Amino acid sequence: MLHELRRELNHALKEPALRWLVLIAFSLSTIALLIGALTISHQKDMVLRLEAAVTAERLLTIKDKTDPGDIAYNLFHLTFDPPTDLAFMALGQRNERPWLHRLRMLALEGQIHETNDSNPEILILGQLDFTFFLSVLVPLIIISLLFDIEGRERREGRYELICAASPLGSRVFHIRAAVKSLLLTAAIILPFIAAAISNNLTILAFLSVLGLIFFQIVLWVIFCRIVTCIIPEAVTAALSLVTLWLLLTVLTPIIGKTAVENSLPVPNGGTILLTQRETVNAAWDLPKETTMDAFIHIYPEWKAQATINRPFEWKWYYAFQEMGDQAAQPKSWALYQGMTDRHEAMALVALLSPALFIERAMTELAGTDVLQHLRYVRCARAFHADLRHFYYPYLFNEKAMSENDLAQLPEFEPCAI
Amino acid sequence: MTKSLVTASKLCVERGNRRVLDNISFTINKGDIFALLGGNGAGKSTTLLTFLGFVKPSSGEAIINGIKVEEDIQAARGQIAYLPESANLYAHLSAYENIEYFLSLAQISRSSQEISLSLDDVKLAPKMRIEPLSSYSKGMRQKVAIALAMLRRSPLLLLDEPTSGLDPVAIDEFNTILKALADAGTTIFMVTHDVYGACEIAKRVGLLQQGKMASVFEAVGETKISAEAVHQAFRQSQPS
Repeated sequence: MLHELRRELNHALKEPALRWLVLIAFSLSTIALLIGALTISHQKDMVLRLEAAVTAERLLTIKDKTDPGDIAYNLFHLTFDPPTDLAFMALGQRNERPWLHRLRMLALEGQIHETNDSNPEILILGQLDFTFFLSVLVPLIIISLLFDIEGRERREGRYELICAASPLGSRVFHIRAAVKSLLLTAAIILPFIAAAISNNLTILAFLSVLGLIFFQIVLWVIFCRIVTCIIPEAVTAALSLVTLWLLLTVLTPIIGKTAVENSLPVPNGGTILLTQRETVNAAWDLPKETTMDAFIHIYPEWKAQATINRPFEWKWYYAFQEMGDQAAQPKSWALYQGMTDRHEAMALVALLSPALFIERAMTELAGTDVLQHLRYVRCARAFHADLRHFYYPYLFNEKAMSENDLAQLPEFEPCAI
Repeated sequence: MTKSLVTASKLCVERGNRRVLDNISFTINKGDIFALLGGNGAGKSTTLLTFLGFVKPSSGEAIINGIKVEEDIQAARGQIAYLPESANLYAHLSAYENIEYFLSLAQISRSSQEISLSLDDVKLAPKMRIEPLSSYSKGMRQKVAIALAMLRRSPLLLLDEPTSGLDPVAIDEFNTILKALADAGTTIFMVTHDVYGACEIAKRVGLLQQGKMASVFEAVGETKISAEAVHQAFRQSQPS
C-alpha cells in the first residue's frame, strides 16, 4: 500500500491543476487565518486603547467633583467580551453583534441595544474567517479536486489501460482520491498549525479544531466518491456535487434559519430601545410621586428617602432611568430567551447541514457563538446593576463623594466562558 | 504442436435485448498476430473488453494462457499488455515519466537502461524522451505506448485500433515493431478498421459481422493474406 501511495503522490505532484488547487487551498487557509488574527488583534487593541481612554477620561470627569449624580451621569465604564485564544478561527458573533459597550448609570436597555446588528452585510454574506473557509469553501475545493478522477481518465482513453495495468483494478482511483485529499488536508492544516503555535492553543483546542477539519474533509471526500462512482460522466458528476453543496451549505441553513425565525419571533433591539426611551421621556411629565412610588415598589429600602422636594433631584432622575429599564426588560428577556431558543432549534438544522454544524462547533469552541454573546450581555447587565447599587446610597442619602468613595467604584470583570 | 494462448469459446455478450457478441469462437496461437476486423458496431471493441474483463459475457468463455478471464480477472490481466486506441498517455509527463508510472502501476520494476533500450527499439529520438508528451506527434506517442507494452514483457499484447490517425510512415514503423515483437514470441491480438495494415502483418484475420464471426482468413507460409479478398468480404459483410 505504501508503494501505491508513494507512486500516486509522485504522480499527483506532477499534475499542474492539482498543484494550483493545493496552492489555492493553502493561500485561502492562510488568508482566512490572517483575517481572523488581524480582526481579533484589532479588537484587542481597541480594548487596550479604550481602557486607556476611559481611564484618562475618568480622571478629568471626577476632578474636583463630589456630586454623585453628576459623577454617575458623566462617568463611562468599559464593558467588553475579551476574545478567547481560538476566536481568530471563528469570528462568529464578534463581527455581528456588539462585544463592547461604554456604559454609564443611565438607563441600560438603550445603551445595550443601540448597536445591535452593527454589521448587517456580514450577517448576509458571512466573514472570510477560517470557519467560513472550512465550512463553505473547502467542499468546493474538494469537489474541484475529485469530481474528475475517473471521468478524466475515461475521457482521455486511459481508464481501461489503468485498470488493466494495476493489480488493484479500479480501486487504484480510491488511492488516487485519498492521496489528493491528503495533499489538500496538508495545505489546509499547515497554516492552522502555524497559527495554533503562534496563538499558544491548548492541545485540546488544537485537537478539537483538527477533528472538525478532518470531519469536513472526509465527509466531502465520501460524497465525491459516492457521486462519481454512481455518475461516471464528469460534468454531470460535478453539477450533481455542486447542487449537493448548494443544498447542504446554502439552502438548508437559509431555509432552516427562516423557518426557525418565523416560528420563534423575538422583539428586536430597536423596539426595546424605543420602549425604554419613551418611558424615560414620559417620566419628565409624570408627577414625581408616580415615578418614586414605582421605584420604591422595587427598592423599599429607600422609602424614607424617596420624597422629592426640588424641581430636579438626581435620585428622581436615576429612578425614572431605572423605570425605563423596567418597562423594557420583559422585551429584553424575551429577546434573550428567543435567541437561546433559536440557537437550540438551529442545532437540529445543523444535523442536516455539515456547514452549519462546523460553524456552530467552531464558534462554540472559539467562544464566539450566540450563547457567549448572551453571557457577555448578562455580565454587562450585572455590572450595570453593581453600578446602581453603588451609587444609590450616595444619591438617596445625598452624600458627597470623596476620592476614597470613588476608589470603591465597581470595576468590570469580563465573564469567563 | 503449437499451443493457443488466447481462446474465445462460444462467446456471447448481451446488452439489454441486443446480442453484441453472438457465439464467437477463435483461438490465437503463441507468437501469432491476430487481427479482428469489422465495421462500426460489429463487436470488435466488445471482444477486446471481454478479454480485459471489463465486459462480462452472458455465456461462453474468454481464456488467456489457460486462465478464464471471468474467474480471475486480475490474473488474466497480468498476462496482458494493453494498448488502447490513440494511446493517450499523460500529456504533461515525459516518455520516461509515463513509462515509469505505468510500470509502477503494474508493480513491474525496470531499470532506466531497460527503459532506454525499449525506447531505442521503437526509435524514439533520445532528445524527445524528457519532453512532455504534449509536444509529441501521435506516432511518437504510439511509440511510447508500444515501448511501455514491450517493457511489461507480457505474453499477450492487446491493441485497440493501433494505427488509427497515424500517417503511412508511422504505420510502417509501427508494423515493423509489431512483427519484431511477434518474432520474439509475443502474441498480438488487435482490433482494427485498417484492412490493408492488418493483412500486411497478421497471421490470421477474423471478420466480425453484427457480433458473429463471418469468416477467418489465414496466411499460408510466407504468403500474406490477400487484402483484396478480405476487403471484398468486408464490403459484403456490411449491411446494405
